Formats: sequence, structure tokens, C-alpha cells
Amino acid sequence: MKKFFKGLKGSYLALILLFLYSPIAIMIAFSFNAGKSRSKWEGFSFKWYQELFKNEAIMEALRVTLTVAVIATVVSVILGTLGAIGIHACKKGWATTLLNLSYLPMTMPDIVTGISLMMMFVFIKLDRGMFTMILAHITFDTPYVLFSVLPKLKQMDPNTYEAALDLGCKPMKAITKVIIPEISPGIITGGLLALTMSLDDFVISYFTTDKAQNLSTLIYSAAKRGVKPDMYALSTIMFITVLALLIVINKRTTLENIG
Amino acid sequence: MPDDVKLIELKHICKSFGDTQVLKDINLYIRRKEFVTLLGPSGCGKTTMLRIIGGFENADSGELIFDGTDLSGIPPYKRRVNTVFQKYALFTHMNVFNNIAFGLKLKSPAELLPGVEKPTRRQVKREIARRVEKMLKLVKMEQYANRSVDALSGGQQQRIAIARALVNEPEVLLLDEPLGALDLKLRREMQLELKSMQQQLGITFIYVTHDQEEALTMSDTIVVMNHGSIQQIGDGKSIYDEPKNAFVANFIGESNILDAVMLKDFEVQAAGRVFECVDEGFGENVPVDMVVRPEDVMLVGADVGMLTGMVESVLFKGVHYEMMISSGGFRWKVHSTTMFPVGSEVGMSIIPSNIHIMRKMALEDKTAEAQA
Amino acid sequence: MKRSFFSGPYALWMIMFTIFPIVFVALYAFQDNTGAFTIDNITRCFEGTYMKVLWRSVKLALECTVLCVLLGYPCAYFLASKDFSKYKTLFVLILLPMWMNFLLRTYASMSLLERNGIINAIVTALGFDRWNMIGTEGAVLYGMVYNYLPFMVLPIHTSLKKMDQRVIEAAQDLGANPARVFLKVTLPLSMSGVISGITMVFMPSVTTFAISKLLGSGNFMLMGDVIENQYMVANDWSFGSSLSLFMTVLILISIGLLNRLDTNKSERSDNW
Repeated sequence: MKKFFKGLKGSYLALILLFLYSPIAIMIAFSFNAGKSRSKWEGFSFKWYQELFKNEAIMEALRVTLTVAVIATVVSVILGTLGAIGIHACKKGWATTLLNLSYLPMTMPDIVTGISLMMMFVFIKLDRGMFTMILAHITFDTPYVLFSVLPKLKQMDPNTYEAALDLGCKPMKAITKVIIPEISPGIITGGLLALTMSLDDFVISYFTTDKAQNLSTLIYSAAKRGVKPDMYALSTIMFITVLALLIVINKRTTLENIG
Repeated sequence: MPDDVKLIELKHICKSFGDTQVLKDINLYIRRKEFVTLLGPSGCGKTTMLRIIGGFENADSGELIFDGTDLSGIPPYKRRVNTVFQKYALFTHMNVFNNIAFGLKLKSPAELLPGVEKPTRRQVKREIARRVEKMLKLVKMEQYANRSVDALSGGQQQRIAIARALVNEPEVLLLDEPLGALDLKLRREMQLELKSMQQQLGITFIYVTHDQEEALTMSDTIVVMNHGSIQQIGDGKSIYDEPKNAFVANFIGESNILDAVMLKDFEVQAAGRVFECVDEGFGENVPVDMVVRPEDVMLVGADVGMLTGMVESVLFKGVHYEMMISSGGFRWKVHSTTMFPVGSEVGMSIIPSNIHIMRKMALEDKTAEAQA
Repeated sequence: MKRSFFSGPYALWMIMFTIFPIVFVALYAFQDNTGAFTIDNITRCFEGTYMKVLWRSVKLALECTVLCVLLGYPCAYFLASKDFSKYKTLFVLILLPMWMNFLLRTYASMSLLERNGIINAIVTALGFDRWNMIGTEGAVLYGMVYNYLPFMVLPIHTSLKKMDQRVIEAAQDLGANPARVFLKVTLPLSMSGVISGITMVFMPSVTTFAISKLLGSGNFMLMGDVIENQYMVANDWSFGSSLSLFMTVLILISIGLLNRLDTNKSERSDNW
């Protein structure tokens, strides 16, 4: 009887997996199709991948995506970590105000964040391109870093900073030599989170850029014209990348649980 | 034994957090090589006082003199004082060795090896290792140098925290309830060890605790505090035998505290009769507190005692029995090696030198004590 | 230097890039094209056309949310159960699509449903007529559920995992049968997870515009599409701002109501 229930549960989970992965699996499979068809197998080939790498627009979008993601991650890690250390040391009232402010971009619909930033960029006459996209990405990434770092600070012994001062550190050194290493797991998790958020984003990028295209906006404009198999190859590569990134994150968290 | 030199002096120290006054005009001196315990219930200001000496808080007013110079405004990293924190505050991203070596690595090579001209990196490294090993030996943790601090038990973490604070060779070690997280048996062991460490190193220890037994075991001097003021300063014996007020009497050991009236010198009225005592100078017909330790009440036959009472309850406490005896409208707590059964009539006698007369506490202190 | 000063740059950034832009939205919402104060754009939000769109958006988002709860709860529950909790990879696999590019997910579901896609290949192979799925409401709903299901599973799974197993054992010990344990203990205690899942699914699905554009072929204008239109096509920023403000207020109110529901629930279960 118990085994029967386990089988039932297992089948349900398998169905959910099928639901989630069949579109992806089909995309991956047909990215290796020799022909143009998205339903009929015409032999194995790397044709679409070769075409992908020859496509200047896609390569440029890839460069934009990666540049934006890396710069936004680095800046948001710095801003978010400093912010968390500051908020942790703040008086209660100010800390609550800042925390509520940090929840705001997380609870606001993406489309509103996007158009509000767009309006401001237009108003201050900042050309919408890669630079404005980076500014926007930093804005939505930073709270995620902040909220990954804060719990680590709370877990830390409240006297850790004072212990460093007591043993001879100047305040700056106490932060770089003790506090930051102590909270580094939170900083790394926050950074990985920021990176994936940035790679994932479409809506905010869509509104905050005009000239530069990232992969999301590129796929959007391509998809409006219908499905084309050259996009399959790109999707496959992106899928594999995210999978690899997630495996790394998952490894890290299990290590943390053990350590 | 402490020298007769004043190492630290606190003069009129006051401190408030918001509306609450945590320290009210504290005056205290601490001698070189003295083991001083700040003793009091939680919220009495003892930890704040320690943090002011450590440099983590600044007093609102008053002076903190260390070896002749005023320390006010000097940050913790410039003070020759180190701290063992309540929950140890070990650096979890470093192993045991690096935790202890932390303070040494912040020193310049010249400070570490004063005799050597232009010490090489290797010499510095060796010197650090030598000093860390010495500390590990002192706290009996030699085998643990490469362990992660998370893998240590509470007692072991405690030892590392002590070693880390001592490696900088401070003149004063501050300890903030360092044994609070340990179990009773380990605590007793560490008490003795801390005391012998202090004597061996010949430095000043300032120790904060709310545990009166801990204070009595280790200290040269006990500073009893309540509500941000010092209640009494003295060695363990004098504080136990001659408590200055009912708070101290009650906080250190157990006591019967009776509302009494000092009729005249050497005569006090309480629990419906007049006792002879050894106190004088309170005036005539002055309300006072009369304090009697439970072990100072002698149980005798019902017909020969100064008081007669009825036994209400009996608890066996190992060495003695603790009995609650009601007499003259007061419930006496009595410790005795002979047991009288519940319901029996007993007589009680108290010799005059065991009766302690104290001025009445201010009302706020009394209510706070009731809350505690 | 005080440590609290470290929050300065962060606070400055948030003010510049979160508060200021919102101020812009609020200002534009109450302006006409010449910049004069007006509430016309706000009242326009309540016109029939837009109310219809709003109703469609809310209806679709609600359908999507309900489907996600129905599909996601058992999924999270089974994953957290003793039988499957040891398979960490399984959990990662279910959540993986969440971290995939949003457009990619939509693109994938689009390629499944399209006219020349694999489903139609099977349908025609079986001798039926081609099935035009793209451009139907069902396709939009499918795209939403496909996109947002993992966002429902994660918080429910977390709340189930966080639950003290002894509470369940205590309920069993007190004589509750498995069904009762689930209804009286597990479900109420995991409500906070369900509620945050609802927030995470309802909010993006009620404001989406990409899914309806791609899978609905523009046949189903949703609130997100209307807002996007004001900025990218109609160039009516004032009305776009009014609509955005309107949607934000609506969402904040519903989040507030949901959170209130959550605290009530937990209080009740505490008393129980």
C-alpha cells in the first residue's frame, strides 16, 4: 500500500516534470535538426549553431547581456553588502525605513519599475542604451544582495566587530578582515542571485533600452514574427548555462549546510 | 595578591541609553593584579561598565583613568585591555590558530620582535607561531590548533576566546559572563582555572557575572551593583558577613529580611519581640531591616527558644535541611542538619552578632527586587 | 566613521532609482499633455473598455493562480514528503525553469503550441485537422501557468519544510488520521507559503504583456499590453502612468489583504 502511494506521488511529479520540460526538450532536440521543420526530424546537424555564431545581431545581444549582467552584479554586490552592513548597525527606525524602501522594487510590478525608470531616463535626457540598462539592473539586483547578506549579519555573534577592534583592528580593517569574510557566503549567494536575475530579466530591460538589445529583447522581437529554429540553438545554449550555474549554486548551499 | 597601585580609576561615571540611566555616578578603583568581579542582577549596569572600560561605549560624563592617563575617547584598538565576550565572538571563518594569531598579525614586526633588527618574514611567522602555541598550552588546547572553531564544544570555544584575548598581553582582561553558557560542572572547573591563570599571568581581571557563587570563589574584590549604582565593595567574606543593605544580603546568599524597629542602640524589635544585637548609631525608634542568615537560626526545643514556631515545609538539600518555619507572623527560612517534621513545634534562637541591622532600602529598589 | 554610514550609498541609490521614478509616474498620472493638472487620465482608467481589459486580466490571472495552487501544492507536498525529500536533484529540476530566461520559457511554450509545432504534427498524424492554439485564451493561460508554476512550488515547499515535524507527530499521537492531520495541521501551517506563492504568481501574471502578445497573438489585450501600448505605440505617457498607478495600487491592496489573511491564519492556528 505504501509503495503504491509512493508510485502515485512519483507519477504525479513525473507529469509535472513532463509539463515543464517537454517544450524545452523539444527545443533542444530540434536545435540539432538538419532541416527547417520544427516537427519533422530531418537528420542531426550543427547547422543552426553555426548560423547562430555567424549572426552579428545575436552575438552583439549576447555581449550586451553578459556585460550588463556582470557589471550590474559587481555594483549591486558592493552596494548591497555595504548597505546591509550599514542597516545592520543602524538605529531601528532608520533601518526599518531602508528595509521598506528595499521591499518596494521587489513588490512593484516589473512593468511599473520599467516604465518609471524609462520616464526618468527620458526626462534627464539620458540616451536609453546599455548604460541605462545597467542602471536599471543594479536597481532591481541590489535588494536581492541586501536580503542575502542581512541574515548572515544577524547570525553573526553581535560582538564580532567589537572583538576585532578589541584585538587591535581599526574600524575599516575590522570590516575588511573580519566582517566581510564572516558574511562571505551571503555575499556570494546574493551575487549569484543578482546574476541570474539579470540574465532572466525581460520586462525592465525592454523599457530601459532603446538602442542596445539584450537576448531577452532580441528574442521578443524575433518571436513577434513567429518561431524560427535559429532561436532554438540560442535557447539551448542559454538553458545549459543556467543549468550549470544552478548546479554550482546548489553545490554551494549543500556545502554550507554541511560546514 | 593585588599590588597597592591603582591601575584603573572610574570617577563619577554616568551613562544613559535614551531615557534609562544605566550607570549613576560610579566611583571605583581597581588595583594592579586584582581579580575584581562586578556582580549584580541583569540590567544593573555591570556589562555597560565593562564596555566603557573596554572602549565599546563612551560614558556620558566622568573620567576613566588608566595608569595615570584619561582614556575617554580612546578607541578599543588603542587600549591595553582585551575582552572575552559573552558568546566568545570567535571568527568562524578562521581556524583556532588564526583566531589566536589575529591580534599578533596586526602588530608590526618591530613590535613582535623588539630585539631583532629588520626581522625577516620567516622570523615573524615563527614568533607568531611560538606565541600562539604558548597560549594554546596555557588554555590546554595544544592539539586543536588546526580545528575549525565551529567544530569545538562550548567549553573549548571558551578557552580559545581566552587565549585570543590574552595573546596580546593585555594589562587588564575583561570577561563578560564568560562561563554563562557552560554546564555547572564545567563552570566550577573553569572558575578554578581562571583564577590560577590570573595568578600565573599576574594581570588584572575584571569579571562580570550575576552568579554570586562564582564571584565568591574567584574574586579578590567584589563590586555588588544594582540599578546602576554600586551597593557595596569588599572581599567575599566581608560582603557575605557584613552586607551593607538588604539588597546585598539577599543577593549574596539567602537571608531572612524582617521589617524591624531599632528601639535604641543594641536593641531591635521584630516579629513580635525584642532582640539583642550588636548594632548602634541608628537612633531611637527608627524603622530598619533586620537580616538573619538561614544557617544562623539555631533550632532548639520548643520551650527554650527565643521564638517558637511551626514547621511548614521541609526540603532536603544534600548537606542540610531547609525548613520554612512560621513564627510571629513571619516565615523564617532555616538551614539545619537536624530535621524537624512538618507540623511540629520548634524553638529558635539567634545570637546577637548574627543579627544584622540595615537602613531601609529606597522604595524603587525594593519593588525592583520583588520583580527579580 | 560609523558603520551605519555604509548604508549611505545604498540609500542614495534607492532614492534616485526607486523613489524618483515613482514620483515621475505619480506626477505624469495627474497631468495632461501640456503639463497642467488633471484627473482626466485617472477617470479614463474606469472607462468601459479598460474595465473590460482589467476584468480579463484579473480573470486570467486568477485562473492561472488557482491552477498553480492546484498543480503546485501536491507537487511541493510530495517533494517535501519523506519519500522524495532525499532527492535534491528532483527539487532543483522542478525549480530550474524559474531561473531560465522568462522570454525563453515563453518562446518554448510558443514553439510547442504553434501551427507547425509538435502537437499539431501529432494531431495531423492522427488524421485530425490542424488545431489553431496560438491566439486563443487557453494558450495565454497555458503560457502563464507554464511560466509561473515554479514560483508557486518554491514558497509552499519552503513552508512545508520549515514546519516542525513534531507537530504532525503530536497530531497523530492525539489520534488524528492522515486526512485530518493534513486538513487540520499541515494545510493551515503551510498557508503562509501558499499566500506568498499567490503573490508571486498573481502579481506578474496580472501585469504581463509579453505572454499575451506572443501566445495570444495580440487577440487578448491585457492590462500590461495596454500600458505598454501607451508608451511604445500611442505615446500617451500620462495615461500610461495613470494605468500603472492604478495597477500598482490595486496590487498593493491585494497584497495587503493577503498578508492580513496570513496573520489571521497563523494566530488562529496558534490558539488552536
